[in-house]
Amino acid sequence: MTLAEIAESSGLPARTIRFYIAQGLLNGPVKGGRSAAYTAEHVTHLERIKQFQAAGHTLSEIARLLSGPSGEDFGVAPPTAWWQHAIADDVIVWVRADGNPWRTKQLRTAVDEFARRVQPARDPKEKESEAR
Amino acid sequence: MSVPESIFAPVAASTRSPVRLAMQRLWLTGQVMPVGGHLVVQHVFRSGEERPLEVIYSFPLPRDAALRAFRITGDGFEVHSELKQTEEAVKAYEQGIADGSLSALARQYGDGLVNLTVGNVRPAETVTVYLEILAGVESRDDGYRFRFPFTLAPAYHSKMRIAAPDAEGEIELPADEFGDLILPRFRQDASALHEVGFEVSLLNQSPASEIGSPSHSIKVQQNAAGPARVSLAQEKDVPNRDLILDLRYTESKVQVLAGPIGDGKRSFAALIPSTLFGRNTGSPRRIVMLLDRSGSMQGGPITQARKAIGACLATLTEEDWFGLVVFDNKVEAMHPALVPATREQRECARAFLKKVDACGGTELAAGVQQAARVLGGEGDILVITDGQVFGTEKILAEARGTGIRISCLGIGSASQDRFLSLLARETGGVSRFVTAKERVDVSAVDLFAAMGRPVASGLRANGSVQPELPRSVFAGTPVLLYGETESNSGDSVELTWDGGRLALDVPSGDRETGEVVRLLRGSRLITDWEIRYPSEEAVAPLEKRRQGRVAARLFELSKTYGLASREMSLVAVVKREADRPGELPKTLVVPVGMAEDTAFQAYFGAPACKPGMPVLPAAPLGASSLRMDNFLMAASPLQSRAPLTSLKTATYGVPYIKAGNTEKADNADLVDLAAMLEPDGGMPGDNAGVRAGRTIAAMLAFVAAGHTLTTGAFRLHLTRLVGFLKSVSATSEREACMIARAVDAASSGKVPPGRWLALAHEAGTGWKQIDSALK
Repeated sequence: MTLAEIAESSGLPARTIRFYIAQGLLNGPVKGGRSAAYTAEHVTHLERIKQFQAAGHTLSEIARLLSGPSGEDFGVAPPTAWWQHAIADDVIVWVRADGNPWRTKQLRTAVDEFARRVQPARDPKEKESEAR
Repeated sequence: MSVPESIFAPVAASTRSPVRLAMQRLWLTGQVMPVGGHLVVQHVFRSGEERPLEVIYSFPLPRDAALRAFRITGDGFEVHSELKQTEEAVKAYEQGIADGSLSALARQYGDGLVNLTVGNVRPAETVTVYLEILAGVESRDDGYRFRFPFTLAPAYHSKMRIAAPDAEGEIELPADEFGDLILPRFRQDASALHEVGFEVSLLNQSPASEIGSPSHSIKVQQNAAGPARVSLAQEKDVPNRDLILDLRYTESKVQVLAGPIGDGKRSFAALIPSTLFGRNTGSPRRIVMLLDRSGSMQGGPITQARKAIGACLATLTEEDWFGLVVFDNKVEAMHPALVPATREQRECARAFLKKVDACGGTELAAGVQQAARVLGGEGDILVITDGQVFGTEKILAEARGTGIRISCLGIGSASQDRFLSLLARETGGVSRFVTAKERVDVSAVDLFAAMGRPVASGLRANGSVQPELPRSVFAGTPVLLYGETESNSGDSVELTWDGGRLALDVPSGDRETGEVVRLLRGSRLITDWEIRYPSEEAVAPLEKRRQGRVAARLFELSKTYGLASREMSLVAVVKREADRPGELPKTLVVPVGMAEDTAFQAYFGAPACKPGMPVLPAAPLGASSLRMDNFLMAASPLQSRAPLTSLKTATYGVPYIKAGNTEKADNADLVDLAAMLEPDGGMPGDNAGVRAGRTIAAMLAFVAAGHTLTTGAFRLHLTRLVGFLKSVSATSEREACMIARAVDAASSGKVPPGRWLALAHEAGTGWKQIDSALK
């Protein structure tokens, strides 16, 4: 497959594919020069990149994930700091601490909502005594 | 312009080792007129790679701008670009790359973002691209502000992906909205990036009284007859802020630029100062102030914006109605509907503003929707924002849909000028854009004074005038009129409005001026249509049909004016001997510097850490319903092998102090003074004598700072102070004389020397103290 053909079949512009190769997300063609060729493996790889992007990962994160030992441990950042929130006796939520402020704020709202939802159901008798 | 290669030897600040830059230089040249600029931007690319290089440089278009052409030069070649339908241009570029030829493509995307891509630059080769751009300026009655982006500010999009690998910020936008646009990486330190600079000519019909720049050190050379030439004072600068040039006229008057454009036609552009339309009426106002409290507003901007709102509210009478809305990811209103501008409600607003801190994203569209609900009908919205958002077409469409006039005060050193000027224009309002180094509060007060009360409405013009004239004219902002006349149809264009008319003489002009004016008109029309483009994600058949109509109109405009748009792009392929087909170039994206007044952490959080390095967390969670007693930091529960890297607590947000934030004490004092006005227009005081005395002192303090009833940011405050003073019953001839002198000073601008500001602030200032100060 030529670059134009793989671009056609993956739905990604040729410039984007060259950019991915330069970023280390995708291997270069199997041969050089005029006979440069791309294989089905390239197509599969491009599909995985798209999936990672859809899951919210940036290209640099994807490059790291794809170069990991199994290439499967996506969703996990390298060793870093995390906040631990014990929101109930039986629930702990972990949130990465060095995310960008918008993401942090978004997660804070989500955890807040989650915390409300998982509040343990209260004993009806307890409620009744409080009401009295 | 020739570029000596020897000057390119950038080194890393930390290691002093040479830095290999794909782009070494960006230099702006050209001419700027009161209606817009005809610019040429020189980009110098040099390959330090051992194989062919493909370089991508991203930049935002200035306001009302369009790309006209580029010329690509190098050792032994010079090729001019062709304007082709975007799909064809991309194909031509890709074919050039596949053939091993040097190829360049300038392609525009949503939000006026452009990717300039130059591929197959050979090892050690230097290639220069001269890109021709038409751009608008921010016109004011007394001059204009020209703004050109030397960097690209990071901005917010609800669907963006964001990270900070290698201490550089990375933003990726959704492909369904932005296609294959590639954004640069954002560097905290721009000192090791490409050099930037400029040398432009300023051409005016009205002589300039003042030329300055709040962004760069400039050198101005002016001959008696020729244009002023403005250049960077030092040899070079770094790409971390826009270039801003301000020009003030000695006299505010009508300016008409014109010239022949062939087929017996003349193209013209006219600027008519708002002062020629009359003065605004004192009818009650209905205004909602919408404040952006997103993370990028941290520091000076949010502090100044809070003060500005206090000063703006002081100009309202009890007959006026106002609302206050703040937004980041969430929107909060002081009250769900408008409230009268009473003393109590102004106090409520002050208390509400005290609690406002900058953090979070920029959901401007939601803010506008809420402000419209608070307004609940006719009126005006004043937005104070840095406008750092992507996906602006959707916001503009929603803002248009509200049918409410929106005026914008933009803040920032890197431009969202295009978006905010469009937001104001599309809704019939006015806009100003200041840097955080300038007085945001004074600009807000100035803009607020013009809002809600147009000086003229119902504008019409005879002849071929396009784009449409604005619905209303506001004090301080001139009307810009583009059109064409038949050379033999007379030399005059008639402009009429409700209650007035004006005949504009169109001069013969020269061919060059006529052509530039025609192109500026084209770039303005293209900009107006670009923002009507429904996003790719709009799949409904109706939207698809609309997209087709907009695309067809853009294509037609691009063809007519020879300007690029999203439908037509510029491409050039340089076929040379020794081109090697099939060789894959290495793709590099040119990084840019973070805007100098924007904290890196505001977008990208804490810098990425390496294992074993301490972490500075961006924010501890503080949600009220969370049990925070068991609050600690530890290794990832998802990755047990990850070591514990730090254990810290921190307060939210990194305090950010603007570098070089030059605060003028007199302006800050005036803003504080302005905020003290009572709803009846007078200064506060325990009795009538003190109120009158402090009011006179306040008036004279404003006049001493250069403000009068018709000019200056505090003109509305002066009007209100005069109104109050005229209502005061003088008990003696001496008191009547003091009132008359103060009222006269407000009109004439002449004020006797004195400690007026201090007297206005002193609680004991009465008739006696004023009398003594006036003697």
